[in-house]
Amino acid sequence: MRFSSLFLLNTGICLTTALAAAAGGKEPHYPVATLAPALRENAHAVIRTEEETLLVKSAGRTVRTVRRATTVLDEAGANWATQLVYYDQLSSVSYLRGTVYDAEGQAVRQLRASDVKDYGLSDGFSLATDARGRVADLRQPSYPYTVSFEYEVVSDNSLFYTTWQPQSDEQLAVEQASFRVLTPASLPLRFQERHLPKGVAVAHSQQGDLQVYQWELTALPAQEEEPYGPPLSEMVPAVATAPTTFEVQGHRGSLTSWQDLGLWNYELNTGRDVLPEAVQARVAALVKDAPDERTRIRRVYDMLQSSTRYVSVQLGLGGWQTIPATNVSNTGYGDCKALSNYCMALLKAAGVQSYCALVRADEPDIRTDFPSNQFNHVVLCVPLTKAAKRDTVWLECTSQNTALGYMGSFTGNRHALLLTPGGGQIVCTPRYGAAENRRERRADVYLDAQGSATAMLHTRRTGLEQDQFSQLLHGLDPAQQKKRIAESLPLSNFSISKFALTDDAKAAIPTINETLGLTLPQFGTPSGRRVFVVPNLLSRLPAVSAPVGERQTDIWLASAFSHADTVRIHVPAGFQTESIPAPVKLTTAFGTYSTQMQTLPDGTLQYVRSLHMPRTRFPRTEYPAYVEFRRKINAADKAQLVLVKTES
Amino acid sequence: MFRYLSGISLLLLTLTTNSYGQAPKLKDPIQFGEVTAADFATVAPTSRPDSAAPAEILCDFGKSRIEGAREKFQVIFERVARIRILRKAGYEWATVQVPLYVKDNEVEELQKLKGITYNLVDGNLVKDKLDISKAGFKEVIDKNHRLYSFTLPNVREGSIIEFSYTIKSDFVFNLQDWQFQHDVPVRWSEYRATLPQFFRYKQTIRGYLPFAVQETQAVPYSTSYSEDAKDGFGNRLTMNSGHNAVITGQALQCRWVLQNAPAFREEPFMTTARDYIRSVNFELSGSDFSRSGNDYHDVTGTWEKIADNLQKEELFGALLKQNAPLGAEAQALQKAAASPAERAAAVLALVQQQVKYNGQERIYASQSLRKVCEQHLGSSSDVNLLLVQTLRAAGLEANPLLLSTRRHGRIQTNLPEQSQFNYVIAHVALPDKSDLLLDATEPLLPAGVLPERCLNGEGRLIATTGRWVPLVPAKRYVQFTTAQLALDDKGGLQGKLHLEYDGYAGLEARKQVLALGESTYQTQLTRRWSDWRFTGPLVLQGLQDPSKILQADLPLALPAPETPAALLYLPLAQTLGQLTNPFKHEERQFPVDFSMPHEYMQMVTLTLPTSYVVQEKPANVVLALPNNGGKFLYSVTQPTPSTLQIISRLQLLKSVYSPDEYGALREFYNRAIAKHAEMLVLQHK
Repeated sequence: MRFSSLFLLNTGICLTTALAAAAGGKEPHYPVATLAPALRENAHAVIRTEEETLLVKSAGRTVRTVRRATTVLDEAGANWATQLVYYDQLSSVSYLRGTVYDAEGQAVRQLRASDVKDYGLSDGFSLATDARGRVADLRQPSYPYTVSFEYEVVSDNSLFYTTWQPQSDEQLAVEQASFRVLTPASLPLRFQERHLPKGVAVAHSQQGDLQVYQWELTALPAQEEEPYGPPLSEMVPAVATAPTTFEVQGHRGSLTSWQDLGLWNYELNTGRDVLPEAVQARVAALVKDAPDERTRIRRVYDMLQSSTRYVSVQLGLGGWQTIPATNVSNTGYGDCKALSNYCMALLKAAGVQSYCALVRADEPDIRTDFPSNQFNHVVLCVPLTKAAKRDTVWLECTSQNTALGYMGSFTGNRHALLLTPGGGQIVCTPRYGAAENRRERRADVYLDAQGSATAMLHTRRTGLEQDQFSQLLHGLDPAQQKKRIAESLPLSNFSISKFALTDDAKAAIPTINETLGLTLPQFGTPSGRRVFVVPNLLSRLPAVSAPVGERQTDIWLASAFSHADTVRIHVPAGFQTESIPAPVKLTTAFGTYSTQMQTLPDGTLQYVRSLHMPRTRFPRTEYPAYVEFRRKINAADKAQLVLVKTES
Repeated sequence: MFRYLSGISLLLLTLTTNSYGQAPKLKDPIQFGEVTAADFATVAPTSRPDSAAPAEILCDFGKSRIEGAREKFQVIFERVARIRILRKAGYEWATVQVPLYVKDNEVEELQKLKGITYNLVDGNLVKDKLDISKAGFKEVIDKNHRLYSFTLPNVREGSIIEFSYTIKSDFVFNLQDWQFQHDVPVRWSEYRATLPQFFRYKQTIRGYLPFAVQETQAVPYSTSYSEDAKDGFGNRLTMNSGHNAVITGQALQCRWVLQNAPAFREEPFMTTARDYIRSVNFELSGSDFSRSGNDYHDVTGTWEKIADNLQKEELFGALLKQNAPLGAEAQALQKAAASPAERAAAVLALVQQQVKYNGQERIYASQSLRKVCEQHLGSSSDVNLLLVQTLRAAGLEANPLLLSTRRHGRIQTNLPEQSQFNYVIAHVALPDKSDLLLDATEPLLPAGVLPERCLNGEGRLIATTGRWVPLVPAKRYVQFTTAQLALDDKGGLQGKLHLEYDGYAGLEARKQVLALGESTYQTQLTRRWSDWRFTGPLVLQGLQDPSKILQADLPLALPAPETPAALLYLPLAQTLGQLTNPFKHEERQFPVDFSMPHEYMQMVTLTLPTSYVVQEKPANVVLALPNNGGKFLYSVTQPTPSTLQIISRLQLLKSVYSPDEYGALREFYNRAIAKHAEMLVLQHK
């Protein structure tokens, strides 16, 4: 037990209440009957009470205590009856306790120490990780019931403080939740309040030598993310906290600005970019005849991509401190820090200055208005010093295939913290718009009198549109690529006669070309004398379901893009067109859409479709209009052409 | 566990054998460290059909043998592997993970790990050695599992990597399993096991590809064994060195080789890859340490023996003899419920209300059944042994039935090995001699219907007279859709849709409702008819009672076309329920295992206003799969001038289709889908 007497004093009130109740024996805990109906609405579980406390013991040590009682209303909420308490080399779990109460509030099961399992949380791809978890499972066969968990984690990694967001999931209501931070006056708390309801604010007080910050939330009804809307974290109340001074394994830093955090990271890794002389000489030889900065970068990046690979090792401070560049040069592998640091060292040997940059990859962007450690990845940033206009080359050092300078959906279009000798600096990674994220498709379809067809399609994808195809191309062999493509085609009956994916190395923006030959036994639907054909072969956009009730949140679309399709349908002899779809043109705030069909001089029918979506964010009031736009697109995409047999 | 070890007598220490006929010594297919520049040349990746594979296993060689040690025997497993990394996507093969098992004081230990990466740089062979102090990590996964991981240095496209290690194991009960196939091509995979005469093992061989070599021969065998000196009470004497002995005799050497195996690929509707991949594994069946060979101690031996052992096990049979925690309730049911089948169903419901299944597939209970009841949570064994016990308490003839779930693999009834099982259910012998199978882990299924995971061949009844009981689906997967629609004068449609989910389709739908919650389920369900507008709420019926058909009703409308046309084209069957072909691929290597027969039926009644007449309607059709494998029926009739009835019925009558039947199955689906796409053409007068 790591309770300090001070800590007991602070939590004294709730503890004594709990003990009195336990001694009384039959006094109900969290009976379901007392739950407000509004909180049950659309909820699978309700947090009855949550008390989270962060006690800052010193610059290098924090103690996090959580006591949470959750009523599980149905099977979909049963995850709340299980608890995983995470720990690693720098933290330990002091205790994990649990109790189950039935609907009336009578205790039916106590968690025993022997019921708690301890697991290594091997992620399946890391060579080594120190992530571990204590796991308890208190699920019950019938609903509703209430589960309470109490646990404490002592951490020697004060780089991360808590982000308190009691409503951490959809369809979870909160009856009451409180968050307290106790910290010595010499280690003042930094915090950011997000989406707090009116009237809720920090209560600041003093207890002995400790500053106390406290928040309380009550009666939060269950929420749901809306389609094409922001994530839950943009909707529900939260308080992010961060230290002013922290210390990890003897490395002390201050955190009042991005500059501070950047400086700590920079200094932690300083001197680790030294290369063996032989490697320096090899780099020098590699760029000897290349005065141009960009050529030097390209050659170094090629060398990196062909001689290293990504191997993840997550142990203690190793999460933030890189292994030295010499090790990478000896073994040819490293994690994101190590490979970025190694590439930085190689570039230095080539006479090019670069900087490591922290990003939050594959997740929503960091909050730039609250300096704190929000990062999970490192990339390399190379400002071009000799370019005519200001330019920067960004390098993803963990990929052996990514094109020079490309930051795709994983790291692009977000903020990064540049680590420089002068400290951290917030910069933007490249952003790709509708002009870059393109899909252009040309299809020739040869129809026969029975309605079957063969088709040859050429598709060129660039920017974010090519990301997943690039992964297919580089990650799988051609037979597997073909299999994946077959699984993704929105067709009910087809076979693939020809298939190839290639990347266009010469293009300015990453580009993947796809050649696809298809046999389509049911492209046209014959019906007596007629054959019905939907000319839009592969580019049908599904409709969006109409909102239930009023739209609550803004529209957040994933990315800007533009699609262009040309389909030529070669009509068999003995048929003439009875009707062709009327042209459609939609010009809206969301984007523009058009389709047009015409008969070419040689009798071929040509269908041209274009969808251009340059923007991604719209106010919530626009949602009905967006639904309507998508409905019209969907209707137009399904428009059909009718061919009729000529009497002869 | 190995009580017979303590019984090793002096007889054994003096055991000597006659000389046996010397078998020619086998040459190893690979020697660690013997890669030369020439080896890079002999691999011509581009000329091979699997040339685009990310990596290729050139040789994977494993050997297991039993050795004596101090007071125990051990399994020594040695492995040498050589892999060519062909593409960057194959880099992951340079990181190797070796799972190790520990239990109490018995361990598996990884030893003698070596690794080398070979690169050809300007025609010269460059070797980089694995440094295990930097690149080797041991992780404690849980109480019984460790994971040793290592990664090889300087791996590039074209590298050859090589590693070798030894696992010294105290668990002579199982030898290390060997898997011959992987998801990259394998040129040569060889496994040898040397089994001394005093231990006898049962082998399980799985998979389809033919072995290049499969042979067994007798070889001379010797090992040393030491025994601590003990006092008269069996206490170890520390001052005395005890006895040492060399055991010599004969061993069985088994050898398997798989050559030029293509990459293994999973396909949809398979049980588990384990059933299809070539592998061998071993389980100890008995021992005989006598000179005469007449002192065989069977540890598993026969299915009957396995059952006998389980009946005595503390966490299996012995539990059933203890006081039933649900005994009082069971006796009340015995008095109340009339027929044995009804009583069994009532007991099943009782256990389901008491204990939730935690998802763990087990044959041994985790603790006493009383504690399981107190915790209200348990594994398949906890839940179903409690069920057996409670059924007995209710006066029924109930016994455990062992099985292997689909995820765990097919049962081979000719190989009596307990490890083939991973799950237990309850069997009730009804008065009419019929079998009633019950599984309390799935409250969403009615009594007598097993969860899909259990539908896997046969199960073994653990009773006084054991036998195999077929695990056949008691229900089909049935989806039934009816629609009553009326066409209005402008070409719009209004009406209602009625959906029924029966058998395993009901289970699937109920599971979705539980996982998503009713409202989210309704939203998701309506997304399946994106063209339609819903004019009222969706009403679910029968959700609570799994013995009933789950029904959903929803009123809906299809708006009239924006521009009125003389002809109205309606692909009605298609709009009401997209049929999709699950078989996108042209070929299939393995059987299609659907678990149970399926049926999809659709019935649409369309009322026409007087202003419309039928101009064209799809032709009626009946299709049948060979060997009575399935039927598709489609018909459009016009019982009255203003009424049309469209019926579509697709039946898959078998649970399993062979690869030979795959083409027909795929085509069957395609034709049904084509029929659904056909238009009904209506003309406005």
